[in-house]
Amino acid sequence: MTDMIIIDGLSFALPLFIMAVGGIYSEKSGITNLALEGFQGFGAFTGSVAVVYLTGIFGSTSSVPYYAGFIFAVIGGGLFALIHALLCIKFKADQVISGVVMNILAMAMTSFLTKSINASFFGNSANKFMLGASARITFPYLSDIPLAGAIFRDIYPFEILIVILAVIMWYVLYKTKFGMRLRACGDNPHSVDAAGVNVYAVRTMAVFISGCLSGIAGMSFAYSISANFSPDIYLGYGYLSIAALIFGNWSILPSLAACLIFGFARSGGSAVINELGLPSSYNDLVRILPYVLTMLLLVFFSRHNHSPRALGQIYDKGQR
Amino acid sequence: MKKFMLSCLAIIISLIAGALILWLMDKDPIAAYMNLLQGSGLMQKVKYAGRQNMFTDFMSFIDAMTPMIFASLSVAIALRGGFFNIGVSGQMMIAGFIAHMLSLIVPSRILVIVVGVIAGALVGALIGWMRYRFNVNEVVSSIMLNSTIMYLVTFCINTFYVNPVSRQSKSIIESARLTISGFRWENLKLDIALAFPLAIITAMFLQWLIERTTYGYEMKAVGLSPKAAYYAGMNVNQISFITMTISGALAGLAGVSYFCGYYASIQPGTTPSMGFDAIAVSLLGGNNPIGCIFASFLITIISKGSVYMSSRQNIEPEIASLITAFILTFAACSAFLSRKGRK
Repeated sequence: MTDMIIIDGLSFALPLFIMAVGGIYSEKSGITNLALEGFQGFGAFTGSVAVVYLTGIFGSTSSVPYYAGFIFAVIGGGLFALIHALLCIKFKADQVISGVVMNILAMAMTSFLTKSINASFFGNSANKFMLGASARITFPYLSDIPLAGAIFRDIYPFEILIVILAVIMWYVLYKTKFGMRLRACGDNPHSVDAAGVNVYAVRTMAVFISGCLSGIAGMSFAYSISANFSPDIYLGYGYLSIAALIFGNWSILPSLAACLIFGFARSGGSAVINELGLPSSYNDLVRILPYVLTMLLLVFFSRHNHSPRALGQIYDKGQR
Repeated sequence: MKKFMLSCLAIIISLIAGALILWLMDKDPIAAYMNLLQGSGLMQKVKYAGRQNMFTDFMSFIDAMTPMIFASLSVAIALRGGFFNIGVSGQMMIAGFIAHMLSLIVPSRILVIVVGVIAGALVGALIGWMRYRFNVNEVVSSIMLNSTIMYLVTFCINTFYVNPVSRQSKSIIESARLTISGFRWENLKLDIALAFPLAIITAMFLQWLIERTTYGYEMKAVGLSPKAAYYAGMNVNQISFITMTISGALAGLAGVSYFCGYYASIQPGTTPSMGFDAIAVSLLGGNNPIGCIFASFLITIISKGSVYMSSRQNIEPEIASLITAFILTFAACSAFLSRKGRK
């Protein structure tokens, strides 16, 4: 049972985490990002289209569609994120409103396009793309370690990808020149400008990165939890990862801890319900846990939280 | 007046974008848009089923529009006071559910409305309280509450209040429902939205409240700049708390007129998308209560008429939410356009 909790918890927490990393990039650069939900959905959509199309060419045994799916999810999520960047940076829209608008737009666009594509290319009227659950990998030897071995058992390939990416993203944000400028844009954009760096370009890049990472997360959810792409992907995972990053005080490692708490609360709850033999509708009660937990923790910790100082402010070059 | 022009611009651009999509799909955009009006009972359809005509369509259009007015007023009043109430969906759902529960004991329309107001107001007050007492961002807390309420209500419905055939909640008893459905008049069957006059009166009252009272003035001041309001000696915390409570109460009204009026039952497992569409409506109406009525009218034409349009033109009904999303996107850019104009 503990094995199941660890395996399921990780496969939920890691996509959440990579999305939160994307959110941190965007918010550290000063752009409030409530649009993660929409980014992950749109990324999952483009990825799923690619998978369905390529499966038709390569056959269902090939692993090409799987990896191509993730690449297209990254591209799709990133391109969609550019709309948010355009609205926030060029059109100076309110960033909170723009974020919510992006979510609604993503949901409307993907459900419309899913149906249209299914109707015109595959001749059915379904509102989803079937993907099937991803294959799982077990590491030999490592998985034999008692208790902790479960971390290396039955893992999805995307979990490895996410861990590698997260390390790279951590390095870029904290150890490179670009990362330093990005963080400075969120605290004092005018000083960045005075140093001769284009604030708009840095912020656009940050939002683009957050879209790419969210795309991976969305594709992971589509491949693991639901095994298809349908409008059900908009269940609020994006919002959950925003909660995680606010908890994590806008830094990467504490956000990982928050995501793990969410993941294990979810899988642990389901396991308990299974063990007690309760009907599956009780799962809905368990799903409440991460949200209530978030609220309680926010109540206790919000006072000590420091958001980036220029977060949500529209940067205007002429203003001092 | 300027805001009005900007809203019109957003609508026109979106309608053109929608027409372009329709045209790309080999459909006739003008016929499709006429279908929208016909489906909303604003234009004569080609033929009608028995006991129906344009007037019955219009009455059910009004029925669909009523909760939208309340929901958009809720967003508008919160935005005026400096809050972004993204939790309208959750507040609607909890108000509708509690009203359903109490109508099992006391079936009364008045009670349904009162309960809706109180339930919504309490959730709104909770969000406002958490913001000023613990500095919890209202956007995050209301999103968390949305999900919490959604799962909680879903659980309650699925365990003891489910209609096994429709997989929805049981229907509310007719004598407590805020819509009289199938009312016989002449030889027609009408749906009468009892809450509609209340919606209009509420909008007018809010307009008076915002423009003509001390509280309204203070609320706007807090919304524009909390710091300036504080230095002017206003009790910022108290004012924003009241604003959020009013906003929640309006969302509760939207909830009861939606779940105990337009629909008689609650769909578990999903939050009503109206709570999010209301943001579009409110922005479109310039966050002005009277503007909200007109914007609700327009958005409801799109959402209500799309059913008829999709059956006539063989288009996915999702096109309606797509056009709404376009309107929302362009409305969000309107700040940029108005700034351009000022220069």
